Amino acid sequence: MENQGMIALFLIIGLGIGMVSGFLIYPVVNPPVETEEPEPTPDLLEVIQTRGYMIVGTSSGWPPFEMVNTTDSTFYGFDIDLCNYVADYLNVTIQWQDMDFDALVPACDAGTIDLIAAATFITTDRNDVLTPSVWYIRTNEVVVVKSDSVLNVTGLDDLDGYDVGVQTGTVEADEISDHNDGGGAIVVHEYPRPDSMFVDLNSGALDAIYIDEPVLTVYQNIYAVKGIYSLTAPPTALYMDQGNPDFQRAVNNAIAIAFEEGLIDAWIAKWFG
Amino acid sequence: MTHGSLNGLGDSDMQELQEVIRWFQYIIVNGLPATLLLTFLGLVFGFILGLLFALGRVYAPRPIKVAISTYERIMRSIPILVLMFMFVFGFPGLFNFVGAGTNATLMAVAFALALRSSAYQAGIFRSAIQSVSPGQLQAAQAIGMTNLQANVFIVLPQAFRLAVPGWSNEYAVVIKDTSFAMAVGIAEMNKLALNLQVESPEFMLFILFVLTLVYFCFTYPVTKYAGEIMTKRLKRLGLGGG
Repeated sequence: MENQGMIALFLIIGLGIGMVSGFLIYPVVNPPVETEEPEPTPDLLEVIQTRGYMIVGTSSGWPPFEMVNTTDSTFYGFDIDLCNYVADYLNVTIQWQDMDFDALVPACDAGTIDLIAAATFITTDRNDVLTPSVWYIRTNEVVVVKSDSVLNVTGLDDLDGYDVGVQTGTVEADEISDHNDGGGAIVVHEYPRPDSMFVDLNSGALDAIYIDEPVLTVYQNIYAVKGIYSLTAPPTALYMDQGNPDFQRAVNNAIAIAFEEGLIDAWIAKWFG
Repeated sequence: MTHGSLNGLGDSDMQELQEVIRWFQYIIVNGLPATLLLTFLGLVFGFILGLLFALGRVYAPRPIKVAISTYERIMRSIPILVLMFMFVFGFPGLFNFVGAGTNATLMAVAFALALRSSAYQAGIFRSAIQSVSPGQLQAAQAIGMTNLQANVFIVLPQAFRLAVPGWSNEYAVVIKDTSFAMAVGIAEMNKLALNLQVESPEFMLFILFVLTLVYFCFTYPVTKYAGEIMTKRLKRLGLGGG
């Protein structure tokens, strides 16, 4: 009888462990059972409109596309204007998730976020896991050096042997690693954010930076740097998870109407003018 | 004469001072709630689980002991960032009952912190329970208490007191590890400091210093008073390892 207390204690412990592990293991060992007539998964559009808000992933600090105003804690920029318009069109509000750029694609694939709005270029790699909207802007990629640099670049070959900074997960990073795979010898340094990259360029730790041109425009106001070689980048689009035709159509329609009404041109004038 | 020059401060000094005050305000007002909420949830869930595991490690039959110590070893060897990615992106929708988006991400991060913390807290409480002299348990049994009563009224209260210094250390670890939540999209203090750095990259070091100071203010008093002073008090009672 003296063991009754201990038995009760173990029952409680067992229940605790059981609850936690069951909670964790359930989705793994019990994937949604394929019944004979599988319930169609609701389109993301339906989910978002029932929920009343759309979760948009972004990676701030990428002017002029997405920036944070630290005075009133709001997001602003080209992509922010565009997403607000899309949200209005869908009749929902936006909840922003500001995360690392390279975490955006896995997050959208997992369904943690509904839409990526981070000046994302359309690439085949991203198309493998996600679906792009129609593209809404085309910018340039540019090689940036300090104003007093004598480096002369007419192609990526000219950067061989130099220290070049790129942002992790960007198309520029892919291009340089492809170039190096093909026999190039660029010493590549990957940065999670553009701000620290420009600090290193300014201090002389980097010889050059390979980045989107709009970002250079902003940092030119802070540092003495210049773009010396530019080429057209892939088109920029919003990205969403695959298999949501209704959501995709709605987003595309919103962008199409924004083009029709001249809003996209107005935003380009506002943010790049 | 203006107030500023009375204090020997020029206008530009005043402006810089105001800017630094604004950094503090921005980090504290917008980031501290998320940091403290994550710390609180991580520690509380970690405490509940950790205490259960500690009792299991001390009193349970061998297979359960082995299972718990395996769990502890696994949790101790996973980096906290990996655990967070696992719960935020690996089990999507698991925490949607609190509202998809920011709330669910907060819960997932808190859960990751709690699981990791539970492994460490289990160790803290296990050693505390084992530090209580076995005579206490025997004396309690001798006056007719059941094992459960003896534990609840005699052993655990003493064990908790012994656990305070180690536990304050764990608090310091958890509050600092909330800074990893930035990577998965939580606007906690570290993320907000980065927002400030983007606005004025030339002041990066100063902003980081402001951030450090805020973390310090929330870590040092606890480790000082809960940790050091409790260690001294325990020492006077002839307890603890300090």
